[in-house]
Amino acid sequence: MITKIVKQRYLFAMLLPAVLIVFTFSYVPIFGWIIAFVNYRPGVPLFSSEWVGLKQFVAFFTETKDFVYLLRNTLSINIGALIANLGTAFVFALLLNEIRLKFFGRLIQTVTFFPFFISWIIIYSLSSSLFATSSGAINETLVQWGWIKEGINVLGDPKYAWAFIILIGVWKFLGYNSVIFISSIASIPSEFYEAAQIDGANRFQRMWYITIPNLIPTLIVLLILNSGWILNSNFEQFYLFTNTTNWEKMEVLDIYIYRYGLQLLNYPYATAVGIMKTVISLVIIVLVNATAKKTTGKAIF
Amino acid sequence: MKERTISGTLFDTGNFLFMLFILLLMVFPFVYILSYSLSSPNMLKGGLVLFPAGFTFDSYAKAFGDPAVLKGAFVSVARALIGPAVMLFFTSMAAYVLTRNDLVFAKFFRKYFVFTLYISSGIIPMYLLMGYLELKGTFLIYIVPGAVSVFSMVLIKTYIEGLPKELEEAAVVDGANDFRLFFQVIFPICTPVFAAVVLFDCVNQWNAFIDTQIYNTMSPNLYPLQYVLYNTLNQINSLDQLKVQGQTQLSAITPQTFKMAITVITVLPIACVYPFLQKYFIKGLLVGSIKG
Repeated sequence: MITKIVKQRYLFAMLLPAVLIVFTFSYVPIFGWIIAFVNYRPGVPLFSSEWVGLKQFVAFFTETKDFVYLLRNTLSINIGALIANLGTAFVFALLLNEIRLKFFGRLIQTVTFFPFFISWIIIYSLSSSLFATSSGAINETLVQWGWIKEGINVLGDPKYAWAFIILIGVWKFLGYNSVIFISSIASIPSEFYEAAQIDGANRFQRMWYITIPNLIPTLIVLLILNSGWILNSNFEQFYLFTNTTNWEKMEVLDIYIYRYGLQLLNYPYATAVGIMKTVISLVIIVLVNATAKKTTGKAIF
Repeated sequence: MKERTISGTLFDTGNFLFMLFILLLMVFPFVYILSYSLSSPNMLKGGLVLFPAGFTFDSYAKAFGDPAVLKGAFVSVARALIGPAVMLFFTSMAAYVLTRNDLVFAKFFRKYFVFTLYISSGIIPMYLLMGYLELKGTFLIYIVPGAVSVFSMVLIKTYIEGLPKELEEAAVVDGANDFRLFFQVIFPICTPVFAAVVLFDCVNQWNAFIDTQIYNTMSPNLYPLQYVLYNTLNQINSLDQLKVQGQTQLSAITPQTFKMAITVITVLPIACVYPFLQKYFIKGLLVGSIKG
């Protein structure tokens, strides 16, 4: 063993920097979880801090009703987004495949993929230009045309919050999500279609009996694999689109942790909520993974 | 496969129109900000703008005359160049080593890296760690924590595993050690996968803003372009509230056109390289989806 390690010294030299970097930035912070269990004060060494046990965890559930709306928002928005994203990508890929002008099809794919590379700040900037209540271009136009009397407050009204945040995500991720469907359509053997045609199947029948059934497994696998992440929200998106008027429908776990930790400087409480989120996510991923392995034979790990 | 039926033609037409609609939905917001940023404010009538009204580069002149924008552009370019280079160096070496099944503890090391994809410590411990390491308020905070990307590592590893084993064997027969084996034999033929991961990282660096918000708000010299844009948006929102109280302003450019100009400047680099690089993105995405 020792001689083998000596022989592989170059390999270890190449691996070591990555091991250390990952240790520092991924494993060391996990030890920081201890601040959720002690009476943490900045400047006071951790080992001399008083041990308070699960106090912060209990506080989250008993002192306020925060977790009720947080879970409602996090789950509703993320499950809604998961279904909306995959559903639209599925239909979009299917329809794109039926476009006969190949050049046009490629153009559409290129253009829809583009928003994936645009930052959330830009999307926020675009949204405020288009949807702001009084100065937004769309509201202004609709008022000019006399379709509505005054601008609709899409960005601030809690009524529209869920639909809006999900649709913005659909816009950004449509191209990205459909890539995998487009490639699985491309991998369907052309003999299937030829055979069906000889049997007299028309275009719609071929789509219905060949393309769609061949895509469904991909859809299910993606649905299962992505459902492991339903407690994780896209931080930047929520950070930008949550405001003082829509927060009760928009605030999700990640934003809540940020607010309590870095704005209200309650480190132990924010860390405790973060730990719960990570642990529950992990449990969901393990369960989902086991289910995926059993039902589809595919798994994340 | 060619057959013409009425329902088929109807479907084709409808489908074509639908795709045209999607195209419009994706393109219009960008056309809008571009046209708006090139308009002179006193010609703008409000509502949807398709073509610049009273073509002018005034708002761009103002944007490029703003030291915050120039500094921001410099920081963003520095991030987008240095970050991916550092990431590729550390990540690709490790990825190669993990492909070697003869490595002692190979299994352990693979698990060691992949585990971090599924568990994250959360924002507070990370924040405190950056304080202890004295990375807060420095440029290094944009580079060092991302020096290893486990996701990229998985992509590169998958790619190297797909290469013919004979290449390595031939080099070993020629007496190359592991260093030379990686840097002279493997590294040069990994260009496609490297292009994919570097570009992804490059775009992420260019788009990043939350790390500035968390760690570097006290150092205006380290604001990337995205953060400058974010500040501009916030200022405009408070200006809008002033305007409600009865103040209007007419000048060569307004905060709105200024905002549009910065938005365009921030999108432009990606828009320029994107059409040429899209195939690498898609390739990387498909490799990643097999196992990621």
